[in-house]
Amino acid sequence: MYRGREGQWAFLLHRLSGLAILAYLLIHVISISLFMFGERAYMAVHQTYDFPLFRVGLIFIVAGVVYHAFNGLRIIVMDFTGTGVAYQRQMWYGVLALSVLATLYAAYMVFPRILGGY
Amino acid sequence: MIRARTLTDARQQSHSNAELNWWIFMRISGLILVFLILGHIYMTFIQVSESDATFDAVVAKLTNPAWKFYDWLILLLAMLHGVNGARYSIEDYVRSRPNRAWVKGIFYTVCAVIFLLGTVGLFSI
Repeated sequence: MYRGREGQWAFLLHRLSGLAILAYLLIHVISISLFMFGERAYMAVHQTYDFPLFRVGLIFIVAGVVYHAFNGLRIIVMDFTGTGVAYQRQMWYGVLALSVLATLYAAYMVFPRILGGY
Repeated sequence: MIRARTLTDARQQSHSNAELNWWIFMRISGLILVFLILGHIYMTFIQVSESDATFDAVVAKLTNPAWKFYDWLILLLAMLHGVNGARYSIEDYVRSRPNRAWVKGIFYTVCAVIFLLGTVGLFSI
């Protein structure tokens, strides 16, 4: 395996999170569009999403989305400014820190609701 | 596919105008999607609980044309951005030309059907 440094991991994580978000998006659109077929079809699927494990899964979705979003901004900075590439490593650690903070915030907001079941 | 670090590199590397336009589209749509999707997640997931996303709540929200447009814009941009991103991955990892053709064909078809499903669903309310 090519042993790149931070840039290699940034690229790999960007791809993986992107593909995961796309998979989630496709499922999300299918299940939301169920309400064309009325309330019963919609709720039949959405009641299963209320299961605590699925709600924990949503925290992982937040983690993937915020990483992909912030790293995407990093890519834009690198592509459209002359000096951005020189700071790509520092910016990547900033991206990681922001992603962890945002994920922790989401978990902090969501866990009481999972435990309380509302 | 373009592997470039700057816009000037991208312009030199691109074999076609379409490829360069997709490269630029990924940056612009990505920038817009950051706001649209982080806003969407915050409003529908952090602020309110999963169990509040009932049928009636969704219908009530989507009767407002502004939210309909917001959601459809996410659907459109995220689909184009995601499908093009997946195309980059397919072109990188599916090495044989015939395999690449049918993998892409099936993948584009599935995504187009789901995009239509989402659009019809959104505007059927």
